[in-house]
Amino acid sequence: MNKKEVFKLAKGFRGRAKNCIRIARERVEKALQYSYRDRRNKKRDMRSLWIQRINAGTRQHGVNYGNFMHGLMKENIQLNRKVLSELSMHEPYSFKALVDISRSAFPGNKTAIHPKKEGLAMLI
Amino acid sequence: MAAVLSLCSSLTPKLSHNQTSTPFSHARTNLSFLSQSLSSLTLNSRKQPALSFTVKLTDTEAAVETSEPETENPGPEIEPAVETAAEPKREEVFAVVMVGSRQYIVFPGRYIYTQRLKGANVNDKITLNKVLLVGTKTSTYIGKPIVPNATVEAIVEEQTLDKKVIVFKYKKKKNYRRNIGHRQPITRIRVTSITGYQDSPAVTLP
Repeated sequence: MNKKEVFKLAKGFRGRAKNCIRIARERVEKALQYSYRDRRNKKRDMRSLWIQRINAGTRQHGVNYGNFMHGLMKENIQLNRKVLSELSMHEPYSFKALVDISRSAFPGNKTAIHPKKEGLAMLI
Repeated sequence: MAAVLSLCSSLTPKLSHNQTSTPFSHARTNLSFLSQSLSSLTLNSRKQPALSFTVKLTDTEAAVETSEPETENPGPEIEPAVETAAEPKREEVFAVVMVGSRQYIVFPGRYIYTQRLKGANVNDKITLNKVLLVGTKTSTYIGKPIVPNATVEAIVEEQTLDKKVIVFKYKKKKNYRRNIGHRQPITRIRVTSITGYQDSPAVTLP
């Protein structure tokens, strides 16, 4: 029954959109449209997130994202950004090895700039 | 997200759900199957870095990766209490393997969901040849592009369909609505071992 399915999809909606069929049907259709569009957007967003994470990870070692990826491409290392971002989070030593390989392949910034520790962080 | 990902144990055999993924480009995979009837197939593969967020590694608390926090040792080490409680001794190694044009980080004893592998039946042993990186507690072997002679062995556990995704197409004011359901065929693979990587270690980790 279509009404039952609509109400099942309308769980958690605000106000009358979860109870009244006329309003719920509109909102559910909109929700499904958004999910169609966002399944495509998710891929873009995820890649952007991975790139931000890799950037943060490599800048801790003094290399920025562009030089890092250039170095990897030169060395023909075909790890993708998803895996690289996971490595930068959970496997810091392996990630540092990758950064060193990239830096030797494509000389970029050499010195690692540590952010200045202020306040209580100075105790660490 | 790092906090969520750094939770709980990495090597428990009781593994649970994974999130579903959207279907991605189907590529022919480079797997060699050793089925029980000793017939083997090899398919060609196209190397393409994967872009979709389809890592489906298991964990009891829906974390994606190993639980090691950044400040501790590399290698999937967990608290000694949990380790010695129920587990057989497991080597602490991980590998990055490419299956179905997607890359996964695998650990022995955990399962991943990949695209449907045609021609693999349940309880078939599978060797994955495209290993891009292997990491242990002491060293990392980085492949250019693959680590030579490294293989990951796995067993096909289940060939199912993914969770249903409703594809709803709608154009406003034009009376156009299409409601289609889609379930992507996937395969669950449990990794048993990672071998053959003793070559060109790039880093001996501190």
